[in-house]
Amino acid sequence: MLTISHFLLLFVGAALINNILLTRFIGLCSFFGISNSMNTAFGMSAAVIFVMMMASTTTWLVWKFILFPLNIGEFLYIPAFILIIAALVQFVEMYLRKSSPALYRAMGIYLPLITTNCAVLAAATEVSKPGFFKMAMPYSYTLGEALVYAFGVSVGFGFALLTFTALRERLDIAPVPRVLRGNPMSFITAGLLSLAYVGLAGWFGL
Amino acid sequence: MLLTVLKAIGALSVLGLAAASMLALAARKFHVDVDPRVEAIASALPGANCGACGNPSCFSAAEAIAAGRLPVTACTAGGKSVAQAIGALMGDDACDVVAAVSVRHCGGGTNASRAYEYGGVQSCGAVAKLAGGALVCASGCLGYGDCVRACPFGAMSLDERGLPVIDSAKCTGCGICVRECPRGQISLLELVSDAAPVVVRCNAHNKPRDRKSSCSACCIACKKCERECPADAIHVIDLLAVVDYEKCTGCGTCVEVCPQDCIDLNAGHLSVTGDGKGKSATAGEQALAGAVSGD
Repeated sequence: MLTISHFLLLFVGAALINNILLTRFIGLCSFFGISNSMNTAFGMSAAVIFVMMMASTTTWLVWKFILFPLNIGEFLYIPAFILIIAALVQFVEMYLRKSSPALYRAMGIYLPLITTNCAVLAAATEVSKPGFFKMAMPYSYTLGEALVYAFGVSVGFGFALLTFTALRERLDIAPVPRVLRGNPMSFITAGLLSLAYVGLAGWFGL
Repeated sequence: MLLTVLKAIGALSVLGLAAASMLALAARKFHVDVDPRVEAIASALPGANCGACGNPSCFSAAEAIAAGRLPVTACTAGGKSVAQAIGALMGDDACDVVAAVSVRHCGGGTNASRAYEYGGVQSCGAVAKLAGGALVCASGCLGYGDCVRACPFGAMSLDERGLPVIDSAKCTGCGICVRECPRGQISLLELVSDAAPVVVRCNAHNKPRDRKSSCSACCIACKKCERECPADAIHVIDLLAVVDYEKCTGCGTCVEVCPQDCIDLNAGHLSVTGDGKGKSATAGEQALAGAVSGD
């Protein structure tokens, strides 16, 4: 029972309360770049969930068995993780292209974008060094916790992206004043959306 | 300290090597053959990425052609030679491609009188939104060169009269200028066969009397060209001279007889600027003279 609520809290905390896009403002380039239409936003979200889980698992392993024992993780984690994520995404792209052309068409064009997505690097870093972006936590995640955390972050990413895309699609046909059309309106919308997410802070003691 | 550096170098090298060998292995194991025709078709296309075929780039057009989603004649800008080259690659005889060029049906410019003085954004699209343009004539060229800026092939320029001049040698008939022109819908700019020998420089459909007060270079629907044409190729339809290019032989009679000088020789061979110079020669002779200087 304790473990279930623990994992649930971890998930909610990662997905909503510390939403990577709207509370921590990481990965905003794709947030604005891909939110023009629901189709692309959906593909991107699916790809991010997929890649973030894989990347976090791999970096957790590398941290646990290579970087931390050798005591070189503190300064080497960024180049090491970037290297791992880039290679991994390339590999996944090749694999998908060969094994599942349908999935590749749906997701393939977003995979190279994700290679350099800071949200993926942030999630991969946090599962290895928990609380890196806040106060240092006294313990490190287990592999199960890391997976739930990465899933939560990526679902939060997708949720925020889809919400924002839906709003932008509505705004395209709304009678917006001329000076605010396009990017200005998008920024205002993103700001309000972010306020809504920040309002969740403190729930469940998170 | 040195040990830390060595450990860092070692760890990153091992990681890099592992990633590289994994990718090299995957590249071989998951290799996917792409259609080699795509590359060949892409190199046969003009590469201007003009978008006239509806694809964002020539490369995506090549993919669509190789996949059979677009016909081999899809590239209007490339015209017949490109269609034939692609047809050879695709094992498909190029269908009949009528090479097209853009022509301007207006001789207004400084000849046309203004309804008001315009000092805003120097763009046809902008002035057209202001009471339908600064000209009295509702169908004449607005003269701010939206077509010239849009032309991906550098085939257009504004002359001293403020009218776009189309270099038929460079014009590929992609039709982007016609789309950009706010009056393209009412065929101020029009795509015609590149063999079209003459072009009527007027696009007005209002009463000839009103027309005459708004522009000194308009067609006045006098039907002189219609009567004199030996090939029965030019007719006044809806109060405007229209050339039937199926019948036109390019003799140049209409150009000579037009009292308003509003029919020009076309085909990129000549520039008739309305001063009557060289009108004694026939179109064919002038074409042979080869003075390539304008529309």
